[in-house]
Amino acid sequence: MNHKNNIVETDKDKLFRGVLLLNSGILGLSLGILFGLVIFIATNWLVIKGGDHVGSHLRLLGQFFIGYKVTFLGSFIGFAYGFAAGTLSGALIAWIYNKFVEFRN
Amino acid sequence: MKKKNIVVIGAGPAGLTAADEAVKQNMAPLVLERADKVGGIARTESYKGCYFDVGGHRFFTKFEKIATLWQDLMGEDFLKVPRQSSIYFNNRFYNYPLRPLNALFNLGIRESCMVMFSFAGSKIRPFPKEETFEEWVSNRFGQRLYKIFFKTYTEKVWGIPCKQIRADWAAQRIKGLSLTTTIYNALFGFQHSKTLIDEFDYPIKGPGMMWERLLETTKEGGGKVSLNSEVISLNHENGRITDATYTHQGKRYKIAVEHLVSSAPITALVTMLKPQAPKEVIEASRGLSYRAFIIVIFIIDKPSLFSEQWIYIHSPNVRVGRIQNFKNWSAAMVPDSNLTSVGMEYFCSEGDDLWTMPETELVGLAARELAELGLAETDDIADEFVLRQPKAYPVYNQNYLNCLGIIQEFIAGFKNLQTIGRNGMHRYNNMDHSMLTGMMAIQNITGCDHNLWLVNEEEEYLEDEKNKKKLQQLIPERLLIGLFGRMDKLGFATAIGTISALYVFIATLWMSIKSIPPGIPNLTFLGEYFAGYTMTVNGAFIAFPYTFFYGFLLGWMFAYIRNFIITLYLFYVRKKSEFLSIKDFMEFFR
Repeated sequence: MNHKNNIVETDKDKLFRGVLLLNSGILGLSLGILFGLVIFIATNWLVIKGGDHVGSHLRLLGQFFIGYKVTFLGSFIGFAYGFAAGTLSGALIAWIYNKFVEFRN
Repeated sequence: MKKKNIVVIGAGPAGLTAADEAVKQNMAPLVLERADKVGGIARTESYKGCYFDVGGHRFFTKFEKIATLWQDLMGEDFLKVPRQSSIYFNNRFYNYPLRPLNALFNLGIRESCMVMFSFAGSKIRPFPKEETFEEWVSNRFGQRLYKIFFKTYTEKVWGIPCKQIRADWAAQRIKGLSLTTTIYNALFGFQHSKTLIDEFDYPIKGPGMMWERLLETTKEGGGKVSLNSEVISLNHENGRITDATYTHQGKRYKIAVEHLVSSAPITALVTMLKPQAPKEVIEASRGLSYRAFIIVIFIIDKPSLFSEQWIYIHSPNVRVGRIQNFKNWSAAMVPDSNLTSVGMEYFCSEGDDLWTMPETELVGLAARELAELGLAETDDIADEFVLRQPKAYPVYNQNYLNCLGIIQEFIAGFKNLQTIGRNGMHRYNNMDHSMLTGMMAIQNITGCDHNLWLVNEEEEYLEDEKNKKKLQQLIPERLLIGLFGRMDKLGFATAIGTISALYVFIATLWMSIKSIPPGIPNLTFLGEYFAGYTMTVNGAFIAFPYTFFYGFLLGWMFAYIRNFIITLYLFYVRKKSEFLSIKDFMEFFR
């Protein structure tokens, strides 16, 4: 029965001692889509809501994302910028995290 | 072609299946059975038109060959029975398998809280050494749950205090699944008990019907089954059993043996051999023991008593261990629908006070306890009947593995001897396991190379591994470890801190070199959070450590909470798996 106990131990080891490594591609893509969608939805939400000063705060993004405006067309531009920024952030987070884990182990 | 001269000892499920397989393989088996009926410890007794299943046998198997055999033999006479069983403890009936709401209702809020506290206590202050069954179970489920659901019943079954049962024995019997398999099972909804099945098959007039049909097929195929035939000696020479001597109706008979398949208790088999087995083998056979049980059967003059097929009695105030309601297995078990028959099962050892108790006293004891449990009044008892079943359960005591190993090695030295069945192999084989060993033993004679000792030994393990492999194709283990592995808090915190700090640093620098027209939103609001922050180059350097700190904190908390949730989840699936396996353990005695 030892062989079975060994298997149980090995599995435990793998799960409890194993440290999660992040896949930079997947995390980058996930954050990219997330950021892009957040900007896209937030922009269109304000456009649909309308009013005198549409997106007085969100306009701040236009300072960094050249060409971005709180308009329907701007939501697509914002999506592209958000996607790029998110992808870059995700990939960088994963890269730094993995390097850190590698260094510590 | 000359038919092989095969002798089978015992006409229980294993012996009869071996005989059936032998006739299918064009052999002429002779089955020697000591008792006056077939079925062995799975037989069905009858009394005044009522049928009684000795021990209560559910027909459920994962072996296709056995399932097909059962179906072929029983056909329309196989009932599908939804399982209904419960546990009686402290004047309450708990659904078994346990259901949370029912358990909560029966235990009450106070006791449920105590169970939770006791469980928490076992985690905070466990027994430092797990030397006994009590310590082993208490450390996993808490003292209170142990006392309610494990202590009394285990002690009734074994006849010794749980403090005297070794923990390693419990650990050996309650085999945990590997953690990854447990997770796979939980993720794919396969986490279930091996024995807690919801539905089973049952012959309309008890298991005896199946043994009778096997007897018929054996006889029709040219085999012989000789009842009241006790094997008294087996001669052997040059590693072969040469002949068997048995008694039948007061006369001795001697027959030549080409192949011997024995389902007799392995301890008895050893003593039958002539010349005698070596001293250490005899000693080893003395080291193996069995539990017996007594069933006091009552025919009750009432159409219904309770809805369960059987009830486990965990109450320490009564000696009865389990109560069968045969009518709930199949209505045809009683001749009249206005009658009910119940079997009060007492676990004991041959020679102890229960075993030697006169029938009248046993009946008196059982009648008193039946009334005490509130299941029937003594006046309702129309008739009674007592059955004694020796060697019902092989005992897995501390030394049994060593002893069995010695005997196994000795028996392996015989070229034409195979042991099968529960007592033949001194193993908790269920009916399907026993029957499979009988089938395989005959196939070995025809040239196959089955290892009978692996039946019921590796089955669960192999099944788990098979499931695991299938699931690994869907989710590779690497990915599973990726999903459930620990996230490095410091690493994640540093990554989030660094990236957020860089973003704010670059954004501030960008804004500081750009001319911002009035009325356009900008980053000056950050000054509300970062003391000294301005939208300048200096401000960018001030913002960097602040953002790093906040990002770091957020990342660390995220990783901590994520790890905590994963740990909780793993703990939950692990506990559930342990609980299911310990329930399986409780079901060995059936």
